[in-house]
Amino acid sequence: MKKLGAMVMVAVSAFSVVGAVANDAKACGGEWVPAVEIDHRPEGIARAEKALKKGDHAQAAAMIVRMMPHVKDLKAKKDGTLVARAQRILALAVARNNGALPIKKELPDYVQGTWLGKTAKDRSANLEWSVAALRKLHSMKSDDAAVQSDLAEALAKVEKYRGEAKEILEKLAEKDLVSSPEAYATLADLRSAAGDAEGQKVALKRCESMAKSASVCRVNA
Amino acid sequence: MARLPVLSLALLLAGFVGCKKPEQKPSPESSPSVSGSLAVVDPPPPTPSNLVGDAERGRSLVEKFECSRCHEGTGVPAATFEKHCVTCHQDIWNDKFKAAPDKIAKWKKTVVHYLNAPSFESANQTLDPAFIQSFLMKPRKLRPNMVSSMPRLRITEQEAADVAAYLTKGRKPATERPTGDATRGRAVLENKACGTCHVFTGVPELPVKPTLATAWVPANDPIELAPDLRFARERIGFSELTRWLLDPAQVKPGTKMPKMGLTEQEAKDAATYLLSVKLEPPVKKPVPPRLPVLDRKVTFDEVDTQVLRKTCRHCHTNPDIARGDGGPGMTGGFGFAPRKLDFSTYESTNGGLLDLKGERMSVFSKTKDGTPLLVAGLIARQREEAGEIDPDVRGMPLGLPAVSAEDVQLVETWIAQGRPQ
Repeated sequence: MKKLGAMVMVAVSAFSVVGAVANDAKACGGEWVPAVEIDHRPEGIARAEKALKKGDHAQAAAMIVRMMPHVKDLKAKKDGTLVARAQRILALAVARNNGALPIKKELPDYVQGTWLGKTAKDRSANLEWSVAALRKLHSMKSDDAAVQSDLAEALAKVEKYRGEAKEILEKLAEKDLVSSPEAYATLADLRSAAGDAEGQKVALKRCESMAKSASVCRVNA
Repeated sequence: MARLPVLSLALLLAGFVGCKKPEQKPSPESSPSVSGSLAVVDPPPPTPSNLVGDAERGRSLVEKFECSRCHEGTGVPAATFEKHCVTCHQDIWNDKFKAAPDKIAKWKKTVVHYLNAPSFESANQTLDPAFIQSFLMKPRKLRPNMVSSMPRLRITEQEAADVAAYLTKGRKPATERPTGDATRGRAVLENKACGTCHVFTGVPELPVKPTLATAWVPANDPIELAPDLRFARERIGFSELTRWLLDPAQVKPGTKMPKMGLTEQEAKDAATYLLSVKLEPPVKKPVPPRLPVLDRKVTFDEVDTQVLRKTCRHCHTNPDIARGDGGPGMTGGFGFAPRKLDFSTYESTNGGLLDLKGERMSVFSKTKDGTPLLVAGLIARQREEAGEIDPDVRGMPLGLPAVSAEDVQLVETWIAQGRPQ
């Protein structure tokens, strides 16, 4: 009995010691480590920007929608924020795919929404969103020629805004401020539609000298 | 007499830049005026200027030009950490900057500039106002061991006079003639191994030439800050220099210049040599040749990696990814209005900058001689290093070494090829 009592005492003492030491977490085999929450979105958005730059518009768009399923409804409070950057990528991808993103395999059904642009109405809604998102960015950075070039690209995809798109791009072109080959391709298309064959050639030539791939310059081809 | 070529060059430049009045007039030739066997000349007369500086205006200009982003002792509060070039760069070197160790290690390879800047503490006892005025108008390389140099500000002569009046507390230019023995003064400089820190161009080389071959460490500060002694005669008068040589810390507390244990006579002799020895004309740094455009294709990625990222982006970047400050070339600073020139992406580079009227213009727009503005800026910096100031184009990178002829060639080729992605 005495032996049992002694064993209990030893056990209790040991437990007490452990318990006491446990308050000092370092003695328990390591410091207490708080859960580290890493926000993967900055890196994800940077990757999406790279994909867009490479011309992988669908992949770029899918990355954004996967990360931010509600990106459409988010409000960018200022330029340069993750939301603003995400919306720019998606808006350009939508415009460059005429409102229908080929991302069916990339996204689960429940986040696809209208992005696939299955109907004319969906495509139209997507393009309108693209224009609205880029207009919002433009309002935050109105003197930025790159933002204006992006906006003009989206505007050109909506019939009622094509005049506005041409006006923006012509002004930029006059000052050699058209920022991307895609925007030059858009200008070529708009000039062609306006019957300006010579102007179209000039814009196409500029596009081709800038673009990594000549296919970029065959807008609406 | 020795000043004549320098001054002629200054006059020539002044004419070239269309200044209304030259900054300096040639001093009359004069015979040696002090004892000693070395060829000596009178110290240059103070820069004649009809402009009277206003110290009060000068203070507000020191704030406008943000001198405290680099310099201490300006009498205005130091810039915040985000804007303080020297503090930020030194923190990187001292591992105090809050960033991942791999980033710090990467930055240390390139952060070699703005690790030091001279303090204006006691400037009224160590600097001639006329010198400050002329230096602000036409910055030169004063400190051979310092990578960075004074940027060329957008400043008028009157503003420069105002800043000079403020920093020197309205002191008058020194006119006193040296009274020591220049020959003995040379011996003092040699015996005290002044050449360990200082270069003295224009005279026979001082023993122990300094070099900053090793990476920057705080111990390099005195060498980095040590000016070329040929400029002493423009900067300081005889009495002030003598006092300085006797006990630098008494004149300027906290200075890196050590007390050399000179006697009063030794200090006078050394000051006499420094202020009056005949100088050979400065060796003009040649302007690199402009190389023809390359035959091979050059992409934006190559230009970005080789030039824009290394040289331009620190001052011309997207403020949203740079602690809210896109640099003086983007969001403004050092008295420059925001030009909103952002080299962070292909598109933003094509997006140009704001001109002085606030209108967007292309950074590739042609200057008078047909050179694209970006190239013209890089070439202008090469010329500035050779003493040639282009009144129409500010040399870039501002206050930093010019890029090489090969880098200019790369940029020029890329532009000529239609700026491929």
